[in-house]
Amino acid sequence: MRVLVVDPDPARAALVAEGLAGVEPLEVRHVRVFDQREAAKFEPDVIVVASNSPDRDTIESLREATVANPRPVVMFVDRSEAGLAEEAVHAGVSAYVVDGFSKARVRSVLEVAMSRFQLMNQLRLDLDKAKADLASRKTVERAKALLMKERGLEEDAAYRLLRKLSMDTGRPLGAVAADLLAFAGVLKGRSDG
Amino acid sequence: MSGERLRLGFIALNDAAALIVADALGYFGQEGLAVDLVREVSWATMRDKLAVGALDGAHLLAPLALAASLGAPDGRPIPLVAPLALNINGPAITLSSHLAAAVGEGPHADGLARLIARRREEGASPLTLAVVFPLSVHAYLLRDWLARAGVDPDNDVRLTVAPPSRMTELLVGGVVEGFCVTEPWDTAAVVAGAGMIAARGSELWPRTPDKVFAVTEAWAEADPPRLRAVLRALLRAAAWADAQENRAELAAILARPHYVGADAAVIEASLGDIVFDADGASAPQPVHAAWLLSQMMRWRHIPADVDIGRVAGQVYRPDLHAAAAVDLGRPAIVPLDGLVGFSPLGPFRLAEAQAHAVHGALSRLRPA
Repeated sequence: MRVLVVDPDPARAALVAEGLAGVEPLEVRHVRVFDQREAAKFEPDVIVVASNSPDRDTIESLREATVANPRPVVMFVDRSEAGLAEEAVHAGVSAYVVDGFSKARVRSVLEVAMSRFQLMNQLRLDLDKAKADLASRKTVERAKALLMKERGLEEDAAYRLLRKLSMDTGRPLGAVAADLLAFAGVLKGRSDG
Repeated sequence: MSGERLRLGFIALNDAAALIVADALGYFGQEGLAVDLVREVSWATMRDKLAVGALDGAHLLAPLALAASLGAPDGRPIPLVAPLALNINGPAITLSSHLAAAVGEGPHADGLARLIARRREEGASPLTLAVVFPLSVHAYLLRDWLARAGVDPDNDVRLTVAPPSRMTELLVGGVVEGFCVTEPWDTAAVVAGAGMIAARGSELWPRTPDKVFAVTEAWAEADPPRLRAVLRALLRAAAWADAQENRAELAAILARPHYVGADAAVIEASLGDIVFDADGASAPQPVHAAWLLSQMMRWRHIPADVDIGRVAGQVYRPDLHAAAAVDLGRPAIVPLDGLVGFSPLGPFRLAEAQAHAVHGALSRLRPA
């Protein structure tokens, strides 16, 4: 397990390492200041960040960036601000630990964070795919309607024509439909398709 | 929750001046308020603390206040209100010295666009530019500046996030090649010999909106007299901070280690175009919120079906500002219905914000 601890205070990184003793292989790296390139090279399985670290904004933005490989984030929160921890979880932090916890819990907290993160990531990917499928279906419907109108085809025939175009070009049905609509737009002199 | 004392959060930037001055000069006390001014180091933590009541009010990026109220990008909604704008102008786009020398005169990004195209042909890695938060005026200014020159900010460059006070260090280390942040951190990079200011926010969006003072809607509704007293203290502080004869003292106050903590001379040099109160600067203008929402929609940071006019009016509350101003014997500021000079296509009107944004969302690289 590779763990990156971003914390102005080195004590908590030591606690994480102690709590994970026995996990093989294990590498816990502590940095006071987050460096994106260094982190990318290290490829952590989980990032632990203190809620009082100025780098929290950077780490939150990494989670949103689609290009970067997202990582589960665990956050350290002072005991006096336990409510803050729950809020951070609503904002996308995978799990949190409140200061003063026993090192015996480190391992379970990180493991829960990693599995929760994987679950959330899978749900998000499924949702994106469902949205894309729906958009594609709408595009196909519009292309079909266009063919029916312009070529005087029955619905069935219009769909078969699209299928044939798709198979002939080896491209997905949705992409062929989108192309057809775009070209029709150009032929009619509309630039926005 | 917070009990009798009020906890107000700020980040080390010039635009926290109204909060800092009200604290340093005792304006909160004169309004009968006991305030703990708390320095925070991250916008995400500021937002979360507001949501749970660990802070009663906060210095906040205007787009973050709007996004939090909407629950964007994927959190749950935290309804906030912005009864006061903390500043007009202050953000700037700074490029590393060698990059600035290579791209030539601004304030447009045409030279940079040519350089980016050449680098792509040569197979070089994309330029890395930093902002303070994805949902910030800085991110949208930088995106608009690039897009106007035909550069796609999502594909032609790498946008990253870094804390304001660390920008100079990242520029010197070559980790980033440019950034958009509010002063004094642009001037600090110039004074350190690391960078050059390529464009001021005000050169793109005249009288650029930036930070707001935000509280939760629940708190605003629970204790209107206390909120009004906070606003009176902030209005007096903002007016004091604007006065030319106070600027040297303002720089000295901001420079204190527990406030902004930068060099006083650098801060004084960086206060050139920022306005805290004059000409209605402190009034939250719903048209500013609408403009920012339209930028958020343009870059797909919020869904295209968000009702811009409704959200702008819900979050930005010039009525609360006006009530506090009238208490001080000042006139209420009349909200603007349009912005001139923000869009190359012509005036941006509150009433047409939705159409403008939807158009912008469809054509991200066309000037919005």
